[in-house]
Amino acid sequence: MNKILLMGQPNVGKSVLFNRLAGARAIESNYPGTTVDYTKGHLMLDGKSVEIIDVPGTFSLDPKDRAEEVAVKMLEGEKDAVVVCVIDASKVERGLYLTLEVIEKGYPVIVALNMWDVAKGGNIKINAPRLEQILGVPVVPTVATRGEGLRELVVRIREAEPVEIEEILNSVGGNRSGTYS
Amino acid sequence: MDKKLSEMRYEEEGRIKKIEESLRAQIAGMGIREGKDIKMMTKQPIKGPVVVSVDRSNTSIGLGLADKIIVEVKR
Repeated sequence: MNKILLMGQPNVGKSVLFNRLAGARAIESNYPGTTVDYTKGHLMLDGKSVEIIDVPGTFSLDPKDRAEEVAVKMLEGEKDAVVVCVIDASKVERGLYLTLEVIEKGYPVIVALNMWDVAKGGNIKINAPRLEQILGVPVVPTVATRGEGLRELVVRIREAEPVEIEEILNSVGGNRSGTYS
Repeated sequence: MDKKLSEMRYEEEGRIKKIEESLRAQIAGMGIREGKDIKMMTKQPIKGPVVVSVDRSNTSIGLGLADKIIVEVKR
């Protein structure tokens, strides 16, 4: 693993998570050719320093504006990266849309169900172990603002592996047209 | 009764019946797809965007896009 990309839709707490993970060593960079900034830093993983990048928020991998284009280009430029998909647990369906797109591209993924406290407060119950079973990738509830779940997230990054989208479809009895049997 | 999303009134609720093909992939990432319950939250004046609530989260949609979404309105 040479790089970790933090990806997610806008306003799911990617940057808070990033600052927690990268600590004070965060540095700002400018992605060439655009006006959209991204931030990178380093995370110690198994005694090694791994680059971690805070990718601009995007709703999908089908870019609709400049920031989304940057996000998609960054993902495509880092074929060996592990992707931490950050989901707002109170808006889980939207977040899973992007997550599935990233999985479909063949990247090893780990899901951070962020804002777990907000979801709980809104009486939204998510069965994280079951979701993990369905997706076949680690799913970790987190509250980035309070640092909850981050230790587990970091420890489990190495469990992230590419999954065939067909396997996920099979486990929910669905197909590509979006209908379910 | 069916109407365009752009024609829905403030606080009106319904279920998304049809989204124009060309638009489907574009707004699926925002959690807006056929069969979802939707509520009109705000309409901005002078052909401005509409703000709708789907799954308890608010999303703004341009009026042009809202024209291409058919909603079965609750009464």
